[in-house]
Amino acid sequence: MTRDLLVVDRVIKRFGGLKAVGGDDGLSFTVPEGTFLGLIGPNGAGKSTTFNLISGVLKPDEGKVLLDGVDLAKARASEIAALGLGRTFQTPRAFPSLSVLDNVIVGADSAGERVGMAFSGRWRDSEGALRDKAAAVLARVGLSERINDHVGSLSGGELRMLEVARQLVRDPKILLLDEPTAGVDPSLQSKLSNILVDLHAEGRTLIVVEHNLHFLLRIADRVVVLQNGQLLSQGTPAEIKADEKVITAYLGADHAA
Amino acid sequence: MNLVQLFLAVVMFGSLFSVLTLSLNLQYARGGMINFGTVAYFAAGAYAYAIVTQEPPSGLDQYLVGLHGPWWAGFLAAGVASMAFAVLTGWPTLRLRGEYLALTTFAFAEMLHSLLVNERRIGNGTVGLANVERPDPGSLGLPDAWAYAGAAFLLMLATALVFRRLLASPYGRAIDAVRDDETAAEAIGKDIARLRFEVFVISAVPIGFAGALYAMITTLVSPDLFTAEVTFFVWIALVLGGERTILGAVLGTMALVGFQELVRAFPFESVRAAEIAAAGEDIVTGILFILILRWQPFEAMVKRRAAA
Repeated sequence: MTRDLLVVDRVIKRFGGLKAVGGDDGLSFTVPEGTFLGLIGPNGAGKSTTFNLISGVLKPDEGKVLLDGVDLAKARASEIAALGLGRTFQTPRAFPSLSVLDNVIVGADSAGERVGMAFSGRWRDSEGALRDKAAAVLARVGLSERINDHVGSLSGGELRMLEVARQLVRDPKILLLDEPTAGVDPSLQSKLSNILVDLHAEGRTLIVVEHNLHFLLRIADRVVVLQNGQLLSQGTPAEIKADEKVITAYLGADHAA
Repeated sequence: MNLVQLFLAVVMFGSLFSVLTLSLNLQYARGGMINFGTVAYFAAGAYAYAIVTQEPPSGLDQYLVGLHGPWWAGFLAAGVASMAFAVLTGWPTLRLRGEYLALTTFAFAEMLHSLLVNERRIGNGTVGLANVERPDPGSLGLPDAWAYAGAAFLLMLATALVFRRLLASPYGRAIDAVRDDETAAEAIGKDIARLRFEVFVISAVPIGFAGALYAMITTLVSPDLFTAEVTFFVWIALVLGGERTILGAVLGTMALVGFQELVRAFPFESVRAAEIAAAGEDIVTGILFILILRWQPFEAMVKRRAAA
């Protein structure tokens, strides 16, 4: 039996008295290692809030989140990232003063980021390997030709790919992607789909929030459906497609049954 | 004042204040931290140097401690004192952002200033510590002015080289990332609090050394020398030279010091003429700032060199 890499246990998050996530009993679901989990739900269902609760940008008011058995209650976002969680953002984020290549290399935990190492110059030994790895990851997401460009010249879709590359270079145990297809043209979408399928085949654990159900239900192997911050349904894509509650939530009562 | 003296004064004070501008450049242009209390770290260095090197109190002296140590001990103590003050002020404040940090660091500097004025046991209060001991460069066969101008230039060079080594490493890349986007930097595991704190403390050390050298040059430390004017002077120099480049920071400071020394060197026949000139200096300074800020000549010069 595979172990649960991520456990979300009766989590409740309130914004100004309103429960954004969790309802009465709290939101619970688990993500076994190697799963490609799709997280879906109508607008305002709490998908991004759930992401922020897992990655430490927000802290749950009740309940807890465990990553590989470690309780994340007291961990800062940077510590959670260091524990092996990678994430992208709904609006892609880049570092404008760094080149495309440096935007990716900076994702790796370089020894030269310690003051002593930086002064001693010994970081140069490992820098070459880091550059090669970053270049390989950039090639994988199709940004090889933009390697020395300024990030300001990248399109919205390329920025999303850059963010994925920056996370991949860190070899995260679990990768969370927040709406990776938003603003991405169809050719890049199919490329992204191939990358995600490959990552899954390599045994990586993925959680992807998506509006584009067609995209997600084809490639995910498990789906969690949220509505009003609560778990509406979960199962395989086939089960979700047939689930009347989900159809009602998405398409309205008329389409059910 | 002849041309040689003018040249030496510009090199001496230009280099000395360039150390402060370089540190500010690291804190602000790279680290994204607005420090409006730069003078406090400078004062901490100067006072530490004076206290370590001066003789024990006698006669009318009100200060408590004078260790009569060698100059190099005072110089090292200056770096340590400035660093310690940075640890003390940085730890509680670096979670603040932008203008909040600016106000807090400004307040810390004012507090230190008031402490130096009112607590006479540190450095004789407003009177200050006169006749600060300093090494005699005569043993090297150099006139004082040449020796101290050279020392200031070497300190500036050392500061620039050390900072460049740090910024050209992955450390520089990480602090750029933190300044650009903290949330994204956290998402790749960067410890923002550690990086900001380290940059703040590291950049304070050369300011302390510059304080020690300043005490040697003027042979006087008193609260009057360490007012917010010093902080603003350094900020103006940084803006003149343009942010983000080491050469720009140095050029901006040299230009500002050069202008002031030039005005100071001008011989006036009467007190009245000097008064008018002093008022005129403020006006001309203001006009020059506007012109330079409008066209940013030093920044442009640095960029042309970089592009070449």
